Order: sequence, then C-alpha cells, then structure tokens
Amino acid sequence: MRRLPILGSSGKQYWRSLGELQGSAEFEASLANEFPEGATEAPSGVSRRNFLSILGASAALATLAGCRRPEEKILPYAKAPEEVIPGNALYFATALPFAGTALGLLVESHEGRPTKIEGNPRHPDSLGATNLYAQATVLDLYDPDRSQHPLERGEKRTWAEASTFLASFGQGLRTSGGKGFAVLTGAHRSPTLAKQLAKLQEVLPQAKVYAYEPLSRQNVREGAKLAFGKLLEPVRDVAKARVIAAFDSDFLALEGSAIKHARGFAETRKLDQVQDAKNLSRLYVVESSMTVTGGAADHRLRMKSGEVAGFVFALAHELAQSHGITLDGDVLASLGAAKTTNGDKAAAWVKALAKDLAANKGQSLLLAGERQPASVHAVVNLLNLALGNVGATVKFVPAFDEASDGPESLLALTKAIDAKDVETLLVLGGNPVFDAPADAEFARAFGSLMTIHVGTHVNETAAVATWHLNQAHYLESWGDVVAEDGTASIIQPLIAPLYGGKSDIEVVAAVAGIQGSGYELVRATWKAGLLDVDFERKWRRALHDGFIDGTAHRDVLPEASTADLGAAIKATKAADDGFEVTFAPDVHAYDGRFANNGWLQELPDPIYKLTWGNAALISPATARELNVTDGEHVTVDVGSGRVSLPVIVAPGQADRSVALAIGQGRRQVGRVGKDIGVDVFPLRTSAGFGFVSGATVSKGPGTTNLPRTQEHFQMEGRQLVRETTSEELLADAQVIRKMDPISPPLLSLWHDWEYKGHRWGMAVDLSTCIGCAVCVVACQAENNIPVVGPDQVLLSREMHWLRIDRYFEGTQDDPVSVSQPMTCQHCENAPCEQVCPVAATTHGPEGLNDMVYNRCIGTKYCGNNCPYKVRRFNYFNFSKREITEQRKMQYNPDVTVRTRGVMEKCSFCVQRINEAKIAAKREGLDRVPTDNVVSACAQACPTGAITFGDLNDPNSTVVKKLSLQNELGYRLLDFLNVRPRITYLAKIRNLNPELESA
Amino acid sequence: MSAASAQYAIDIDERDPSKRAPLVLGQDASFPAVTDRVAKIVEEKTPRTWLLFLALAVSLALVLAGSLAKLVWDGLGLWGLNNGVFWAWDITGFVFWIGIGHAGTLISAILFLLRQKWRTSINRAAEAMTIFAVLAALIYPTFHVGRVWLLYWVFPLPNQMSMWPNFKSPLLWDVFAVSTYATVSVLFWFVGLVPDFATLRDRAKTKTRAIVYGILSLGWRGSHRHWLTYEKAYLIFAGLSTPLVLSVHTIVSFDFATSIIPGWHTTIFPPYFVAGAVFSGFAMVVTLMVICRKAFGLENLLTIRHLENMNKIILATGSMVGYAYGMEFFIAWYSGNEYERFAFINRAFGPYAWAYWSMISCNVLAPQLFWFKKLRRSIPVMFAVGIFVNIGMWFERFVIIVTSLHRDYLPSSWSYFRPSIWDISLFVGTFGLFFTLFLLFVRFFPVIAIAEVKGVMPEADPHHHPEADHAATEAAHA
Repeated sequence: MRRLPILGSSGKQYWRSLGELQGSAEFEASLANEFPEGATEAPSGVSRRNFLSILGASAALATLAGCRRPEEKILPYAKAPEEVIPGNALYFATALPFAGTALGLLVESHEGRPTKIEGNPRHPDSLGATNLYAQATVLDLYDPDRSQHPLERGEKRTWAEASTFLASFGQGLRTSGGKGFAVLTGAHRSPTLAKQLAKLQEVLPQAKVYAYEPLSRQNVREGAKLAFGKLLEPVRDVAKARVIAAFDSDFLALEGSAIKHARGFAETRKLDQVQDAKNLSRLYVVESSMTVTGGAADHRLRMKSGEVAGFVFALAHELAQSHGITLDGDVLASLGAAKTTNGDKAAAWVKALAKDLAANKGQSLLLAGERQPASVHAVVNLLNLALGNVGATVKFVPAFDEASDGPESLLALTKAIDAKDVETLLVLGGNPVFDAPADAEFARAFGSLMTIHVGTHVNETAAVATWHLNQAHYLESWGDVVAEDGTASIIQPLIAPLYGGKSDIEVVAAVAGIQGSGYELVRATWKAGLLDVDFERKWRRALHDGFIDGTAHRDVLPEASTADLGAAIKATKAADDGFEVTFAPDVHAYDGRFANNGWLQELPDPIYKLTWGNAALISPATARELNVTDGEHVTVDVGSGRVSLPVIVAPGQADRSVALAIGQGRRQVGRVGKDIGVDVFPLRTSAGFGFVSGATVSKGPGTTNLPRTQEHFQMEGRQLVRETTSEELLADAQVIRKMDPISPPLLSLWHDWEYKGHRWGMAVDLSTCIGCAVCVVACQAENNIPVVGPDQVLLSREMHWLRIDRYFEGTQDDPVSVSQPMTCQHCENAPCEQVCPVAATTHGPEGLNDMVYNRCIGTKYCGNNCPYKVRRFNYFNFSKREITEQRKMQYNPDVTVRTRGVMEKCSFCVQRINEAKIAAKREGLDRVPTDNVVSACAQACPTGAITFGDLNDPNSTVVKKLSLQNELGYRLLDFLNVRPRITYLAKIRNLNPELESA
Repeated sequence: MSAASAQYAIDIDERDPSKRAPLVLGQDASFPAVTDRVAKIVEEKTPRTWLLFLALAVSLALVLAGSLAKLVWDGLGLWGLNNGVFWAWDITGFVFWIGIGHAGTLISAILFLLRQKWRTSINRAAEAMTIFAVLAALIYPTFHVGRVWLLYWVFPLPNQMSMWPNFKSPLLWDVFAVSTYATVSVLFWFVGLVPDFATLRDRAKTKTRAIVYGILSLGWRGSHRHWLTYEKAYLIFAGLSTPLVLSVHTIVSFDFATSIIPGWHTTIFPPYFVAGAVFSGFAMVVTLMVICRKAFGLENLLTIRHLENMNKIILATGSMVGYAYGMEFFIAWYSGNEYERFAFINRAFGPYAWAYWSMISCNVLAPQLFWFKKLRRSIPVMFAVGIFVNIGMWFERFVIIVTSLHRDYLPSSWSYFRPSIWDISLFVGTFGLFFTLFLLFVRFFPVIAIAEVKGVMPEADPHHHPEADHAATEAAHA
C-alpha cells in the first residue's frame, strides 16, 4: 500500500501526543501553530491562504485578500508533520455523497490543494477504492467554467450583496410564515441539511420541501413498502452470495454502493488454489443493455426492460410452485396472472435459475434495477426473504428520510406552482429545468416564479433563475453524509472556497435566520446528536477516520406485509411488441452534472467505447430492421417528444429496445460540454421514467462520426483473453497452460537483466476485472494526462495510458463480453527500447521501462514497435491546450507535464515508487517495506483486479496473487519473446450445466 | 542492308558481331560535336519553357517550405497519424525518395565496374537525380520527429549528458547509412564533373561563368597526370559506391525488418527493397531522360539503345519485385503464423485493398510490357510505364507501412489512417524541391558526362582506324 500512514509499517500512533488525545490547552495552542505563517508562505507554493491573492490578479477579489482565515481546524488523516512541507502530500478524509450512499475518500493534498482522490480503506462503502465520478470530482473543483459569483438575473453580484438579499428574503418569509415558499433539494443524505430544513420548516410553517433526483431510487423504497409495509432500503453483502441474480441491475458499477458490491463480488471469485473453483459464485444477469455487470455475468439473458417484470414474476411463481417458497396467496395468484416468459431460453432460465436459487438458500442474492417498477422490487424483496437471504446477503435498514424523490415530486411541485401555492422556490443544487420529466413542464413553471438556485455551475436552471448563488464544491465545504448502511461521515474541506462559494446548509440557515458558518452548523448537529459526550475528541476522530464509529444501522428484520402488492403486480405494465426506450445514466455526464468534465467526457464508455457524447444503442437485428448502421441517426418518438441521435449497433442489446443515456446535450454548460451529445429528456415522462414502451423509431436524417476509442470488438481468433469454466479447470488444472501457443525456442541476443533489489510487476485478474474503467480515470488524474477532445479522439489520438480492451465472443446478438486492462507491459526484452535512436526509453534497474521525456525527440519508432500499442504520442501541445490557472492546481507535482513531440506511456507510477524509496531511505531501511507502493490503477480498482508490487518480495500481495500463475497465468503475446512483466490470470466462468449457453 | 537492321536494335553490329553498336549516333558522332551538343544547353539563352517549368517547380518547393514551417509550428498532429499508425506518408516518402536515388549510384558505380559503356550518357543526370532525391528524402527523417530542434541528438557528438545515441536502433543505422550515401554520392558526382566543368570554363563567354566554372573545375588542365588521378579516383569511388547500392537500402529496410510487427518482420526485405529501389530509380531516370533528350535534342547521345537497356533493367528488377510479392504471400501461408497470414490477407482484401492492387498493377503488370521489343523501344510506352512504376513503388511503401501498422496484434487498437492535406502537400512539395534542383542542374551543369561519352566513342580508342568504322558510321546516318 502506498505510504499512507494508515499502513505505516513503523506502527506509529495516529495521535501525536497524549496531549492531543486529551485535548489539552497546550495542544490546542500547538494546533494553532500547526500552520504557522512562515511555513505556508513559501515563495513558490500556493497555500490555501494566499491562493486567492494569486488569482486576484484576474478578478476583483481585493476584498477577500484582506480576509482573515477563520479559525476552523481541519485535521489531516496522517501522522503528524509539524508543518506543511512542500513536496510532501498530506491526506485528508472526507466523503462524497453519491447515488444513494456516501463514498468515503482520502484526498491527497499538495501544498493545500487537493490533487488526487483515493478511497478510504476503512469506509464500508469504499474500502479503499473509488468510482469514476469520485475520481473526476477533483477536476470539477478546478473547472474554469465553475460559477464564480452570485448572479441576479444574470448580473454579477458579490456575496455581500447576496447575503444581504438572503437575509432580507428570509426576513420577508418569516413575516408570512413561509407562505408560497418551497425548497427543492436533491436526494440528499445529510443530517445537517435535514436539520436545517427541519428548522426552516419550524420557522416557516407554511414552507414546503420537495426532493427530486433524475436518477431516483424511489422505486426501491416503494418496493420495500410494498413487500414489508415499511420504508426500508437494502444493503447488500455480495461477498456472502453464491448465486446472484441481477434483474436489469448494473449493481457492480452504478447501482447503490457499487464499489462495495464489486469488492464483494471479487471475494466470491477468489481463487487461492485450483480447488477453490468449486466455490465460485454464479452471476445471472437479465437485462436489456449490455452493462458492466452483464459483462461479468456467467449467464446473461437479454430482454426488454419492460419484460423483466414478467420474468421476475415467473421466477417467483416457479420458486413458489416447485421449490417450496411460501408466498401470500393473493400475491401468488397475481404472479400467476402477470408472469410472462418470452421464448424457450427465458423459460429454461426460469427453471434453472429457480433451481439454483433454491439450492443455495441463505447464500443467494436477487437484485432489481432501480428503474424497474416498485412491484418488481417488492417481489425480489420477498424472494430474498423467503430464500433466507435477509440478514446474510442483504440487510434492510431504515430509509434516510421519508422524502419522495421521483418524478411525481416535480409533478406535484409544478401543480402547486400552477395553483399559485408556490411563488418562490429555493433550489439546492441539481438542474431540474434540464432533467425534469417532460410532462411536468417544469421549465415553464419555473420561469414564472421568483427562484434562487444554489449550484456550482451556471446550468440551465441557474440561467433562468432570479438569483444564482455559487455553491462551494464538496471539497471546499463542511458537511456530512450518511452512507447506505447508515455510516455517517463528516465532509471536511480540503481548500477554502476558490470563489467564495457557500454550501447549501449555509444558504438554508441564512434563509431561516440561523447564524453560523458551515463548520459551526455541522458541529452543532453532531454535538447535539451522537457525539455529545467528549465531543472534541470524537469530532477529531471522525475527521481523522473519515467516518463516525457506531453510526451504521442495525439492520431491521422485516416481515412480509403484502397487502397492496397483489394489485401492484397486476397493474405492472407489460412490454408490447413495439419499440421500447430505456433510460440510463450517461457514463460521461451521469445525470448531466459532469457534462463539463473533460476526463469523464473523454473516458470511453466501458462497453462500446464511445466518448464525447451519447448514442442510441440498438441490437444488430433491430439495426438491420431499421436499416441503420453505426453513426447514422434515428428519430425516436415517445409521446409528443422527439429526439434524433446517432446509433451504435450494440451486440447484446435486446431487440426493439433502444437504450438512451440521459445527461448529454446540455445547453448551458462550459467549454467542455458545449455541443456534446443529444438531450433525451424530452422523451422521459413520469410514466415512462425508467423505460417506456410504445415508442416509434425510424431511420432519421443525418450521420455523426462517433468518436470511439475501439472500433473492433472481435478477438479475430487470437488468444488475447484466455478463459475457461470452473468445470474445465477442476477437470484439468493445466487447461489454460495448454492454450500456450507453439513457438520456437525463445532466444535473446542480450543478457538477462538481474534484479537484486526490487522487481516491480503487476498481476491482472481477468475473473474480477469487470471493466468499470475507474483505473483509466485514476491514471489520468495521477499522471497529468491531457484531454484531447472529440476531434482528436476521432483521429485515434486519445492519450489514456491505460485502456480497457473489450471483446465480444459468441454471436453478435448474444455475445459474451470480456474486458482486459491494457497498459505498458514493461517488457524485459522490450521492443521499444531497442529501436529508439536516442535512447529515450531505457530499462530501469528495477524492471521498469523508463520513458525519458526530455530525451525523446519523437521519431515514434517505439510506438510502431510496441505490439500492444500502449504508447501515446503528443501530436499537439495537448497539455498546453487545456491549461488554465485553475487546471494547473490539480496537476500532480510529482509527474512531468509533457510537451508536444514527446512520447509517453504508463510508468508503473514511478513517482510513487520513488516516493516510497525516498521514505524508506529516510528511515534507514534498505528496502521499501512490503506493499508500500501501489499504482494509481491498482489503488482505484474496486475489485482488486489489478495488483501491483515487488515480485522479489515473497510476502507481497502481487506475489501471492500470482501463486496460481502456473495454472492460470499467462502473458500476452509472449511468443514474441518480449517477456512482459504483467501477468494476466485467466477468466474463469462458473456455468450452470443446465443452461446450455453462457 | 535493310533499314531495320540499320537501327542497331541490339548492342552488337549484325554485320560484325565483334563490334558493338555505336553509342553516339549521327551528326554528333565526333568529339567536337559531343561537346557542342552538351555545352550548348548550358551556354544558350534561357529557354522560355525551362523558365516556365522552373516557376512551377519553385512554387511547389514553396509549398514544401510552407508545409514544413506549419508543421514545425503546430506539431505533427497536422498529419493524419495516430496512436497506432505512427508512420505513414512521411516514411513512405522517405523510402520512396531514397529508393529513387539508387539508380544513379548503380549506373555510376556498378555499371562502371561491369564496364557497361552505355552508362556514360545517363550517369551524370542519374547521379544528379540521386543527390536531389536524397535531399528530398532527408526532409522526412528530419521533420517527422516531434522535436526537430533536438534532432542533432541522433549524431554521436560529444555532449554534457555523456549520452551516446542508441546503436541498437535501425534508425541510427539509417543516419549513418544515408549520410554516408549522400556524402559519397556528392563527392563521386562532383569528381566526375571536374573535366566537364573545365570544358565549360574553357568555352566560357562571360567573366562570371569563367570564374565560377573555373573554381568548380579545381584547376583542371587535362594533363596525363590529371587524367590518371581522375581515373583512379573514379575507380575508388565506384568501388565505394557499389556496396552502398546494396547496403543503404538494406539498412533502410531494416527499419522495418528488425521490428516485430507482422508485415514488417521479414528477412526478404533487404533484397526486396534493393531490387525495388533500383526498379523505381530506373523508372524515374527513364522518365526524366525521355523528357530531357527531347527537350535538348540529345537523341543522338541518349539513344533508344540506352533507353532500351534501362528498360531491360526495369523489367528484371520489376520481376524480382513481383516474385518477392508472391514469395511473401507464400511464406505467410507456409509459416502458419496467424498474425503473418492475417497481415497479408488484410493487405489484399482489407480496407487498403485499393492501395494494394494499385501497387500490383503498377509494379507487376506494367513492366511486363517490356518483354516486347517494340514496346520497350517505344517512347510513349516507356514514359507511361516509368510513371506507373513510380506510382506503384510509392504504393508499395505505403502498403508496407500503413497496412502493417493499422491492424497489428491487438484488434482493440485497430484504426484507419487517412492522410491530411498537410501529408499530401508536403509530399507534393518534395517533388517541387526535386524538380527545382533538377531543372537548375540541367540548365547550369553539363547534363551528360562529356568526357566519359567521348571515352567510349570509337575515336577514343588509340587503336581506332577511322576507315574501318567509317562504313558503320555512314550506315548509321538515318
């Protein structure tokens, strides 16, 4: 593990002194001295305090230069430096609220600037890993298109003016008791915000609070209500499952606490010895679009999202009829009426899946996708209960609050606006004018109000709001958030707000007439709550750890209470023969909030490798039916909404189901997101929020050149990803070995390199790589990799050092998908090293293939000679093109920013290796301690598929991971005698013998 | 005697097989006539046509300058290259031009050692063409690098970093090979020019010319000692250049042959490239000579026989190249290596099939016309074939480079390369440079090696009997 003090080998205490533990006065004083004037005012450093004076040259921020830094003590996670040392990074724990949970993070900070985000190994939802969006939020912090000041009807205002306005606004509201006032929030999970809103409603009894989230989890909660009669939320422990069935649920990448799910899934695929193949889990996925989860499946059944309900009902019925599962009579009857299985394959599945589930009671897990109707969730909940999974693989915890955040919320709000019950609206974050359901006509209603929008960007909502208040980014604010299992974290800022923004709790407090900064408000919440006794110590502990001990919920043991379920089942709309349209978050923009994030826009989507935009995914058969091919447009009509967008012919997509991604086609967005993608919200109504049938799809005019980083998805018969089934492996442990190609004796002209010290290497486990691509973004963040833009991606010049190759095998319609992370293999006998005329790429003494940027003159022969094509050339001054004053702050100071004309490639994070070696040397050690170095990709990976370390150290994780390398390991293109240093471990599928195809 | 046989269709005089057919025909078959014919081109008033062509060539050369300037200013991204196809038109152009240069060296050196007297009418122009082609070629390795301003690091110059360049790299061998080639070619050509410069000096009408040609002729007096030294030097150069004909393009082929990419990694490349170089070089010489002899009235010095001999070489080397194509396919299949097989199937039937079949028709089919005597003695046919061969040879390098790179081992990184306007403009511009230099050469330097041509005329033979050959010469009047 990288030299994060949490795993400091020297066993240092986290606390500096007993004085600190006791919170003595001396310690308080020393804290105040922790950042003495002299240390932070380094001439070239940009400390938090004087950053603003540097930026002030371009903005009239004279007022702020004179501000005194408020006495807010944030504590680093780490062992104690007496002062900030330029060049040494500090790590601070914080959390990111995301997708119905919280991601615990450790943020690396250089000289007071957050530069890289890692997971917090001790936080239950992150376990040291992150997802794409967490990695990318650090770039959002430095987005030059962020909102930099309050706006009143588009006119710039200062925060002084805004504060005055808020105060008077609040005052005015208080006199009328809040009549006509409403607040619209996202689906927040912040105890402090909840408290502020409660206080607001106390002070303004007539005020209403609405919640809306374009990716709403309302159906999950309603599903619990329909099954158990209570508002509960599921928390899964995938590691305990042997049979997993996911129904339209991308639970490994997007739904719920995906990182945790992925980690748990990886646990179920662990092989320490060949015999462990008997105990592998089996993942069944039923879905309409190929997702990351579908790619990892052992068995996959594609069907329209609208047909999933019928399938689930059939499965439940089968379990009840043939496997003794007890269900309520009314429910059973409804299931019998509503069940459908389209085709023999589906029927076979129902039988086989039911059998497998019944044989694994207490260690199976069923999940339904968040966009499936509540009845499906309810039935899945009942099945989990009846199969004994509740308490083992899935727990239920009380919902965070009773807020309903689905489309009906905005419909109600619009209704209230039209009825003049709401005249002023405070919008806390989000972009409802852009992402509201089409039938809510929210934009029209919004325009008629007096509105205040609090947000980090001037988005579509802010552009038409009366007042826009620039919000502090979560890395700049105090706050708190509760994860899906109840674990609470304090959000602490890493840097003072770059543009003086305020957090949502501060705005609400201001309106309610409550005094206090975010810091004080959060402290107050916790002082009055859980941390009341011995507050200061517990507060510091919470900041230090990144979570608050003891806040995880005790799970609730629900009982079936299905009074309304039968009716709901019968009312569930079944899919018809026509076209269906499904809505999913766009990989790049999510729900639209990341549309201006260059890293995410340029990230190839994990399945079809599309960058910079969205496309309609259509199955090959349907594409033939419509006579369209990649890039040609289709016109999609749902109700009165019409949208035209390019097609991707998507192997694995269900027939006559068009998958659309929401969040692109933003209109009010910065320089990155401008004119990117197509807005599909006009098609999304409240009745068809997750998916909708009855759509019309026709070949439309136009073609778009789709910037995709991979165009060929066949392996062309080449042994690139090796896989086998657990059955075959158990029968013959050498089955993978026997796939080695026949080659002549591999001789070399050169002597072998000798490694007496470290020998860095990597293992990539293809069984657990799900292809989620967080490693790609992590690498980009760590190594200052530039974003090149869509026109350069079209010319195949994207700069990602690490890429995930995805291949489809089997038939075009029902392919099996495999993904393979590909980066520089740091070959022992590197073809690139031999051909560089100026020796700009050489072999390092610890096994790395070193790329020496300042020696490279750019003949590009090394790139030609690399059989893996992992080298990236700076065809233009890409770095220069994306540099702004703000962007510079994110750059990792340990990594060179490359200029034009220079080749670059994965360096095995040599800066991290050197940092660890320097640290070891400083402590007088002759070796870097075991597992003290981890590459950015390995650190970010949620499943631990990538392991990095010292091959010469028998105790290192990577050597242990490679214990099965003789049976399962192989090197790519090893017949070329390049002797790569990355060993791939073959993919093992666990097939159900009763289901003939994968 | 029939008029047909009077054409001297073959090298040997039909009436007397021990006698070779004359290399200089008609009115020009005497020493003064030869001198006059060649020197006149240099001494006459600037022809309007020449000026026109020069203007055209210079404008293309300006396109070259502009393309290079913009390239250095903006970066290699102006070209169509990507992160898979790192070389395309640039190295195609490099190999194309270097290949063209090989004809001159072969004519100058190898044909000299093989005592092929007919070389004397073409060697001067061919050597000039070599030098200009090498200059055009050198543009590419210079400017295809990402950081041109640091290019000097490829040279083993002492430096503060204590860094040698990497001697394992074929690109570095290229540096040595091509610079040796350029140096030797220039010196050889210049040494050969000295007696002819002296001729021009002695005939100079203006002071400037006298001085310039005087300096260039290095004080040549035409004495026995000078001639002796000259002949020795010439022989040494020929000896040095002969291996260069084979080695330089072999080294260039090593850029590809020593790599591991399927389609590149093949031992056939050295002979294949050398044959191809001679092939394209001769095609260019034929094209240029056909124009020159017409434009400057050199038909008697540069006879059909000369052209026909060159066409025979074109046929021979073209057949070698065709054989190599076939062999590549056979070996790819025979090897059983799936990547090698795919590389060739992809060439013939993949997205670049249009380039591949252009190459085949131009390189394999076109020269086969030269089996027919009538066609190989026909000016229009040989002109067309010469052009086709050059087009075909450009495509050969393009096919080798781009089809091998765009689809190699991992299908995930397959792409399709398209040239940008700057790729094209740069290549067109190199023609501008080449033709500018060639036109200047033709105007200011003796385009045919006067002294050497005289050396192979019957009059040069000390045992020459004017009467015996008079009849032959008479019959040649036609």
